[in-house]
Amino acid sequence: MKKQNFIECERKGLEKLINFRLPHYFYTIGIAVLGTAIVMMFIRAFVLEGDQEVLKVMLQRGLLIGMLLMSIAKDKDEDEMVVKLRMQSYTYAFVAGVVYALIMPFVDYGVSNVVNSGGEEFHDIGDFQVLLFMLMIQLLCFHTLKRVR
Amino acid sequence: MENTIKVERAILSLTQGDLAKKIGVSRQTINSIEANRYVPSTVLALKLSDVFGKPVNNFFKLSSDD
Repeated sequence: MKKQNFIECERKGLEKLINFRLPHYFYTIGIAVLGTAIVMMFIRAFVLEGDQEVLKVMLQRGLLIGMLLMSIAKDKDEDEMVVKLRMQSYTYAFVAGVVYALIMPFVDYGVSNVVNSGGEEFHDIGDFQVLLFMLMIQLLCFHTLKRVR
Repeated sequence: MENTIKVERAILSLTQGDLAKKIGVSRQTINSIEANRYVPSTVLALKLSDVFGKPVNNFFKLSSDD
């Protein structure tokens, strides 16, 4: 393959990836998955007894998958402005996620030591917490930007 | 960038919704373009040009801060 063809092929692949969106009905599926995961989380916390660590992890993944589907599903009236607002919201979510991951461990540590003397040990936040925060910020920013456009 | 899309639209007696339908965007996008909150792509500008039957630079003008 010639160098020019290779670059062209790579560019097309990248464009496809950048423009990838799921059809709008995946937004509804995302809401359903998210809702089910939240309800199941309450049931696990208040009704079920015993150790359900696997269920907890599965429900956390379910929550993230639901929000991800909502995040990458097309809008009902998807046009170039909505695409731009979506990209803007991903930027905000990324920056907020990094700041959150940097600051939150210190906030957790500080608060727990102020509330109880000799509180929790210093620990990093988990992937679930960061991803959940980023997806929440993305969805929130996207809908706010769309509302005030 | 400033524009006179509202005027052009009024000349053709089109509502924001009508124009939006003609060029395949949402009514809110037309509203944002008219209010200078959003600068459309070249493709969209050319579609507007088609609808109004005028060159793009007849209704889009650079402002002093561009």
